[in-house]
Amino acid sequence: MAIEKEVILQLKNIEQSYVVDNSVKQAVKDVSFNVYKNEFLVILGPGHCGKSVLLNIISGLESAQKGQVYLGAEPLAGVDRRISLVFQRLALLPWMTVIDNVAFGLRMAGIAKAERRKIAQKYINLVGLQGFEKSYPSQLSGGMKQRVGIARAYAVNPEILLMDEPFGQLDAQTRYAMQEEILRIWQQEKKTVIFVTNNIEEAVYLGDRIILLSSCPAHVKAEYEIQMEKPRNTVDPEFLRIRKEISDNTDLAL
Amino acid sequence: MKIMTVKKRERHKNTFYQILSVASVLGLIGLWIYISSTSRFPTPGDIWERMIKMFQYPIKGKNIFGHLLASLQRVMIALSFCWTFGLAFGILLGWNQKCRAFLEPLFSAFRAVPPLAWIPLITLWFGIGEFPKILIVIMGGLPPIVVNTQAGIANVQQLYLDVGTIFHANRRQMLFQIALPSALDAVLAGIKNSMSSAWVVVLAAEMLGGKSGVGFLISRGMDSMDMPLILLAMIAIGSVSALFAIALNTIERIACPWLLKKK
Repeated sequence: MAIEKEVILQLKNIEQSYVVDNSVKQAVKDVSFNVYKNEFLVILGPGHCGKSVLLNIISGLESAQKGQVYLGAEPLAGVDRRISLVFQRLALLPWMTVIDNVAFGLRMAGIAKAERRKIAQKYINLVGLQGFEKSYPSQLSGGMKQRVGIARAYAVNPEILLMDEPFGQLDAQTRYAMQEEILRIWQQEKKTVIFVTNNIEEAVYLGDRIILLSSCPAHVKAEYEIQMEKPRNTVDPEFLRIRKEISDNTDLAL
Repeated sequence: MKIMTVKKRERHKNTFYQILSVASVLGLIGLWIYISSTSRFPTPGDIWERMIKMFQYPIKGKNIFGHLLASLQRVMIALSFCWTFGLAFGILLGWNQKCRAFLEPLFSAFRAVPPLAWIPLITLWFGIGEFPKILIVIMGGLPPIVVNTQAGIANVQQLYLDVGTIFHANRRQMLFQIALPSALDAVLAGIKNSMSSAWVVVLAAEMLGGKSGVGFLISRGMDSMDMPLILLAMIAIGSVSALFAIALNTIERIACPWLLKKK
């Protein structure tokens, strides 16, 4: 990593709670961290607590009760064109073909058809889906669907890409393949990525930096910087050591 | 080799089911011929002759196709109104919460009254011409399309709307690019329901008063104990209705290819 790191996104004292069955349940408690330009940041946490909430707050889908997110120097209010999201539950639009799904953000931005087709095609090629442009999502496998989701998020050319457990619903084999893919794509199209997962191995395989969250309510428990070269060998002693260290420090998911 | 045998077995199974379907239809016709040969129930031949006779001696100046056309015209005029106005109204109810809160009770009250119950009132107000008949058909065809459109639009998955939010869809794009396409299968189901409902109502309206249409033929057949005429009219309306259903299914397949390609 470069020695001087430029802060691109800043979370300051984020808190969020919900009313569940007539009682207040706190999901996120006093979370602050920085995100640096072009890094692959993994937010790792057990169970269902807080991780997606944090991403929803960063993406602007929900607003925090307390605290503030800063993009560069300015406070973030609502959704922002510089931030894009790869959804946890695929969330492709089933009535659109692959290319129309990828071009969706460009179309909403009012970019002319020929131009957005060209851009969409570029990202379809990047995720390795050439030949499936005219397929509908229901015709694709889980891994292919998630590739479409990734291409769609990349196509609007954001500065920051949020990925909300994008491989959570894939089978183990596809998951490994997609982890390699996401690294390849990230190295090809350098962007800041914030990747949420509950899988320790995935976190160590992908992350330049890992922010470990506690169980409910989520707060930052530890931070790890991983210097190993990518792609990483998952049975390398150093890899296993880091994995064990994080694992020992992780709260049990309920 | 194994694959071939599996394929063969699959094909045999399909052929068997097709034979079953054909057998049921043939059975019905056989039963009909048997019953009509042992009673005064008209034979298929009687009905064919009745149709030919209508070309020579039209009823109220129209043969069977003339009457069919008269009914068809009423249904189509009414449905084209239902499908445009009903769609717009359904979108309004589904998309705009204020409109829904304000208009839904009124619409529910209107919907709770069966369309045929309107016949006396409408006849008192507008007589027995063409307009009141079409109005009654509209009463029957409107609720299904409005209800289905509204439900389809109101129940659009939050996830799809989130996709719209993340990619900066404006309010109009949210409606036309996300809510409406996701509601399209519900809307199409509403269109089909409104059509079958319109047929039911147009027949009833014609049976109660009128000088043309298939419903009129049926009630004329009843008055003059003309059983072949009644059956002829029933078969005519059944065939047209079935053709329409096939046409709509074809349109659905063309308009919503993603529903079809789910394996």
